[in-house]
Amino acid sequence: MKKVIGLMMSLVLLFGVLAGCSNSESSGEAKGDKDVDLKVWSFTDELKEPITKFEEKNGVKIELTIVPIADYPTKLKPVLESGVGAPDVFTGEIAFLKQWVNAGYWENLSEEPYNVNEIADNYVPYVFDLGKDENGDVRALSWQTTPGGIYYKRSIAKEVLGTDDPAEIGEMLTSMDKVFEVSEKMKEKGYRMFPDEGAIRWFSQGDNPQAWVNDKDELKLTDQKIEFLDYAKKLREESYTALAPEWSPSWFEAMDKPIKVKENGKETKTEVFSYVLPTWGLHSVLKTNVEDSVGDWAVTSGPSPYFWGGTWLGVYNKSENKELAYDFVKMMTQDNEFLTDWAKDTGDVLSYLPVTKEIKDDFSDEFLGGQNNYQFFLEQAKSIEPGIVTKYDQQLDTFYGNAVQEYVDGKKSKDEAIAEFYKKAQNAYPELKVPKK
Amino acid sequence: MKNLNRYGYAFIAPFWIIFLIFNIYPVALTFYYSFTNYSGSGTAEVVGFANYQRLIADSYFVEAFFNTWKIWGVNFALQIVIALILAMIFSDARVKMKGLSFFRSIFYLPNLITVSSVALLFGILLDWQHGSLNMVLMNIGLISEPINWLNQPTTAQLSVSLILTWMWFGHSFIVVMAGVSGISTDFYEAALIDGANRWQTFTKITLPLLKPILLYIMITSLIGGLQLFDLPMLLTDGIGSPDGSLNTMVLYLYNQAFKYNNYGYAAAVAYGLFIITVIFSAIVFKSMYGNERKQARRV
Repeated sequence: MKKVIGLMMSLVLLFGVLAGCSNSESSGEAKGDKDVDLKVWSFTDELKEPITKFEEKNGVKIELTIVPIADYPTKLKPVLESGVGAPDVFTGEIAFLKQWVNAGYWENLSEEPYNVNEIADNYVPYVFDLGKDENGDVRALSWQTTPGGIYYKRSIAKEVLGTDDPAEIGEMLTSMDKVFEVSEKMKEKGYRMFPDEGAIRWFSQGDNPQAWVNDKDELKLTDQKIEFLDYAKKLREESYTALAPEWSPSWFEAMDKPIKVKENGKETKTEVFSYVLPTWGLHSVLKTNVEDSVGDWAVTSGPSPYFWGGTWLGVYNKSENKELAYDFVKMMTQDNEFLTDWAKDTGDVLSYLPVTKEIKDDFSDEFLGGQNNYQFFLEQAKSIEPGIVTKYDQQLDTFYGNAVQEYVDGKKSKDEAIAEFYKKAQNAYPELKVPKK
Repeated sequence: MKNLNRYGYAFIAPFWIIFLIFNIYPVALTFYYSFTNYSGSGTAEVVGFANYQRLIADSYFVEAFFNTWKIWGVNFALQIVIALILAMIFSDARVKMKGLSFFRSIFYLPNLITVSSVALLFGILLDWQHGSLNMVLMNIGLISEPINWLNQPTTAQLSVSLILTWMWFGHSFIVVMAGVSGISTDFYEAALIDGANRWQTFTKITLPLLKPILLYIMITSLIGGLQLFDLPMLLTDGIGSPDGSLNTMVLYLYNQAFKYNNYGYAAAVAYGLFIITVIFSAIVFKSMYGNERKQARRV
């Protein structure tokens, strides 16, 4: 009797273990077959509303999984590799977009039955272009465009520069030299041009936008980018910034009120004139952190056009429900009615031109003193150079940002900083051909 | 009788199955990957010992090795000294400190806070322009310029060490206290009668008898310390800034694998780390127990 009980108990234990393994799989399948028609993965809750609309319209059920951006690539990758519990539709952020379009997880949308190349002209060129893989096939589409500008305070502009008109201010900032002229004027009146030196990194391409890595796998550091080292240093040395690093508490604080700056043994109170931010900076950064100066802001162009961020989405190539999956992608990126509502609700600047053509003239934002930021950003988007984004950008930008920081802080000479940048780039990407210096 | 023995295997089977799937399999797979150029997706190509050759010549890995030791060493020295002093005070028969359990929980509290919150908290406290620490130091006149704590290699490493000390001294204190309370009071009474002072009691009775406990703390702390990752990752930009001073071995491994997609090389880094951990654990163990055995033989 004891033997039987012993055997039973060990079997129970054993099955318990195995059940733990198989359970998740079978329940996953059950979900895929019965309750849920489509699985979507993303890194923000942005898609919640569209999904509800899509569900109502088509009478289907969608399961949205949100993974915070820091873990998103590491969590999604194994799922896509194995195909177990994988989403039918998933989004990609610009930081890892290039890597993913080439990894082959997304369905080729240039082929039958999607044929998205036929509607290529409906999109802002650089946005459409970024969704292409190495062979020029489209893997992902985006509904938004994220060009950037310089957001500034109207009251300070009026006091120091004599005008608060975005077009006129933009004229005063067409080159880095001109930016420094304005910075000097700001300083004389006790203001600071930017919160920190990092603010101008988006203009580091200068008038010569080039990819970090060319098609021969060669790392290219343009003269303009090297010049940028000196620009950043000048900002610091001339006290044009408020020493408030991006995303730090003081960076947010300086948007709305004067902040204290401690340098050279003195403490001074100052206000920051402008922030370099893209489209989404208005809704998710400025509006959420500013109370007192609502309506006192405006947006204008900087020395060179740039874009920052963006979300693309595509269909998983092993999805069992590709038709419905693509329907969802279609709604997000090509549905006139949906996109019009979306743009009006969220203020998101769309990349789908048939809709933007209709709505761009009626936009005006109270926060920006009634300025039509929509038109402004669409203009900016046109001048963005397509084809200079590589899968290396995220890391190389970080490495170069570090090199700049070390040079600005006076820890390294210019040559040392550049040499260190090359060394780090080579270490992270052994396949690159890095100049020997 | 023979049959009975077999049930034993059935009972340990659940553990073994889990252990094989979730421990042995990944460890073996990592070992295989360390000989390939696997990039996280697609197929892996076997490249022989290339990754290990690169590892030995990699100045960033060497830098990470010394950084890890520096940060862990300062932290451990401080932590153990604080724990011993506290243990001395609380165990002293002449002082008769009250509220041991109260202080024990207070000291242990920092350990209960998740590291990400700790990093956020200290990121704000140590802020260059607006951090409370600089404000206090400037107000009492110790410094005239704010110190950019997390932007200079030495201060950044020291900051991490001190945060770790703050997080872990309570844990060490509890373990040391447990060891101290296991020492028979007879020794202390005898010492008292013989006229030993506090220092003598501590160095001649408490410390030698605490040796196994201290060894335990040291080995666990060493293994944890060599895996230092979360604080350096969260305090600055995640790639070891400033000047690579917070680049620890596991952080380097993580970046090689998940940021640069060099999974094959990262696997080699993992095995490098494993070998280093084994070597140092063995050294610690030998140096604390090896002498004892020799002495025992001589006596």
